[in-house]
Amino acid sequence: MYGWAGQRLRVDLTTGEITKEPLSYEYRRKWIGGRGFNSDVIYNEVPADMDPFDPRTRVCFGMGPVSGTAAPSTGRVTVTCKSPLTGGFGDSNMGGHWGAEVKYAGYDQIIVQGRAKHPVYIWIDDDKVEIRDARHLWGKFAREADPMIKQELGDEDIHIMMIGPAGENMVRFACTFNDVWRAAGRTGHGAVIGSKNLKAIATRGSGTVKIADPKKMMEVCNRLRQAFKTDPMKIGLNTIGSLCLINVANRDGWFPWNNFQFGSHPLASNMSGEVHAETVLKHREGCYACPIACGRFTEIRDGKYAGENFGGPEYEHAVPTGPRCGIIEDANDIWHNARLTNDYGLDAIECGGVISSAMEWFQRGLITTKDTGGLELTWGNAEVVDTLINQIGQRKGFGNILAEGADRAADKLGLPKEAHYYTITTRGMTLPGDDPRGLGFGYGLSFAMGTRGGCDHLRSLCCLELSGALYPGLNTKLLGDESANKPVTTNGKPYMVYYEENQKATTDCLQVCCFTTHWSYAVLTPDQVEYLNAVTGLDFTEEEFQEIGERIVNLERAYWNRLMSGVREDTVPERFLKEPMPPNGVDYQTNIGATLPLNEMLPKYYQYRDWDSKTGFPSERKLKQLGLDYVAKDLAPLRSKYLSDAEKKKVKYYY
Amino acid sequence: MSDQKKLIYNNEICTGCRSCVVGCSLYHDGECGKVVSRVAIVRNEQHGESFVVGCDACTDAPCANVCPTGACAMDHAAGIAKIDTNKCIGCKECAMACPFGAINMHYKTGKAFKCDLCEGREEGPVCADWCVSGAISYQTPTIAFKAKRREKLNERLKAAKVGEEG
Repeated sequence: MYGWAGQRLRVDLTTGEITKEPLSYEYRRKWIGGRGFNSDVIYNEVPADMDPFDPRTRVCFGMGPVSGTAAPSTGRVTVTCKSPLTGGFGDSNMGGHWGAEVKYAGYDQIIVQGRAKHPVYIWIDDDKVEIRDARHLWGKFAREADPMIKQELGDEDIHIMMIGPAGENMVRFACTFNDVWRAAGRTGHGAVIGSKNLKAIATRGSGTVKIADPKKMMEVCNRLRQAFKTDPMKIGLNTIGSLCLINVANRDGWFPWNNFQFGSHPLASNMSGEVHAETVLKHREGCYACPIACGRFTEIRDGKYAGENFGGPEYEHAVPTGPRCGIIEDANDIWHNARLTNDYGLDAIECGGVISSAMEWFQRGLITTKDTGGLELTWGNAEVVDTLINQIGQRKGFGNILAEGADRAADKLGLPKEAHYYTITTRGMTLPGDDPRGLGFGYGLSFAMGTRGGCDHLRSLCCLELSGALYPGLNTKLLGDESANKPVTTNGKPYMVYYEENQKATTDCLQVCCFTTHWSYAVLTPDQVEYLNAVTGLDFTEEEFQEIGERIVNLERAYWNRLMSGVREDTVPERFLKEPMPPNGVDYQTNIGATLPLNEMLPKYYQYRDWDSKTGFPSERKLKQLGLDYVAKDLAPLRSKYLSDAEKKKVKYYY
Repeated sequence: MSDQKKLIYNNEICTGCRSCVVGCSLYHDGECGKVVSRVAIVRNEQHGESFVVGCDACTDAPCANVCPTGACAMDHAAGIAKIDTNKCIGCKECAMACPFGAINMHYKTGKAFKCDLCEGREEGPVCADWCVSGAISYQTPTIAFKAKRREKLNERLKAAKVGEEG
């Protein structure tokens, strides 16, 4: 078989049973891989009303047909489960080299279910799979446990997926790592893996991925890799990492200062990629087969944190526990906090989100030092942020409440409804560090519609509006509207989000990095179809490529619909709709006074999707057209229920 | 020393992305994987360090010197030792003799295989062509050495300039 390994691995930690299931041609053609396989398994095997920590839930790790090949950046893995943070559909995507290694070991997907009696790890040595004792690894940071496992197995070249102490402690936004530092950050699957008593999956793959048409593959990959050499987005990412966005964010007013109360700060450049590269950058790092290599390795060289080192940070990793909590003067505080979230294995975005929400509650007098165990949650108090990250990771003190996520914490503290205004969440998950009033209205729409909750810049990655100006003519080519290349306009955005969501869903099935396609634009959809066909020997078309993405988006959407989440929940935090962007002492900020005109864009978006505008549920016609008849059947009785008065009255912050 | 181009490795700047590995395996074997690559990346994730291991095209090549059948022999025109698979008996002597570990045994044939500078590829070896960081480059050694020598001087000039600006 070309491309795919052709089988998936299922490990039941309760019974110790290990099975390998073949994947049929029809199945592979329908879902392609990675995110598609995972979403299908979660939809079919995890009932919508099941507790996310129930031993019967599944955690899926998905690889794709081009994983491990020479196509640009093929080491990605999608991790999917029912999210303990939102209660809904949750997945996240990580780079590194582990995905390729699993593919070389001969699996397209790993499903873990059940719960082990004590901490264990899984050792996949090609076709030999065993469950091993991990009691001695429990409580260890990934950076400590990774070399221990390698030594134990006698091979330092293996690659390991792992959770940190936060996952073991079932912090609802714990994440998953591979290669120590490459995180699948969002939706809290680290806690689900921890609840299964699983510490790690160590993998050695000594096989290869077979290519149907090597000559063609060489030709396509060579062309794309030459194109990357001069791609402007690639050059920025490679030279100064994703922190290259800091100065842009500050100029365009999407820098999330003090929990999005402002969109810029005069000192933002303290943490810019340019400064990072000059002061603390130790190495540049690349995920598997990546022509960009945006990864960083950081070493703090002066001040009280001198000597601390860690992989990262990325923009979204550094910003939440930095400027979102009001820290900017000493960048070392920001790098230090990023190091902490990494070590504990916390989703940095959610962690910064929950701390900055608490800071705003403190600012507004909704909580006092009586609630916080004496901590003064003032903006920019780096020591308090440090303490809170430690408390969250260990589930101690006030951090134990915050470890539940911002919306749950508000309820646990008995705070009034007003507190939820400051949690900056959609469907129970906080937004990344990008203010849609400046980043772009397409992103804003995407935040409202993301099928994994209040993310999600990666679901659509509408960079045509952000970087479109760098590629003149591209918006016309893809969307038929060049004016869509400005962030603060609604022109062309509903279609842009629709198109990009589908494109990104299939990209996540191939398990190649979003940064290689429609972020930098060296790889466009036709190129992806070309290498997919060269690898698999099949005859995918661009239309089919987009349709597969659409199928996945609709399936994930239906999972939310089964939880009575639809059009009423399709929104962004009210702050972005109501508060005009205030100035903050930066005279070059471009979006003063902007709010997000979400309601202008939603109706058109539903139209493109062919979703019922009253419920926000995919229409029966659309589901059948996409080969999802069984989903249409599931949703049929739920449509009227969603419109019932009882459902309308329910206030839902999360599920 | 001739002006024959060689692969030059600079491990200081390797990102460990293994673009070289996938390129090498695809070009030579028509499949992708670390086990069929002639170039290898050794990584230490904990410390974020990566290291390229490829053929250094030794002039007095230990791999050729130890080969008992003459399968591994210097190709002076190409400037690198090459392995004739037909003559190779798969004894692993060359792999053990290589000071860098740049020789491997093929999982299909059981015979040794190594870098051949992508013989016949117009753009030169694929590893250097696809390298993101410049950690692998394909150039005339004498020119690389000259640049290396100048590096220190340039650093000193840069430092002096910074000093002037104060």
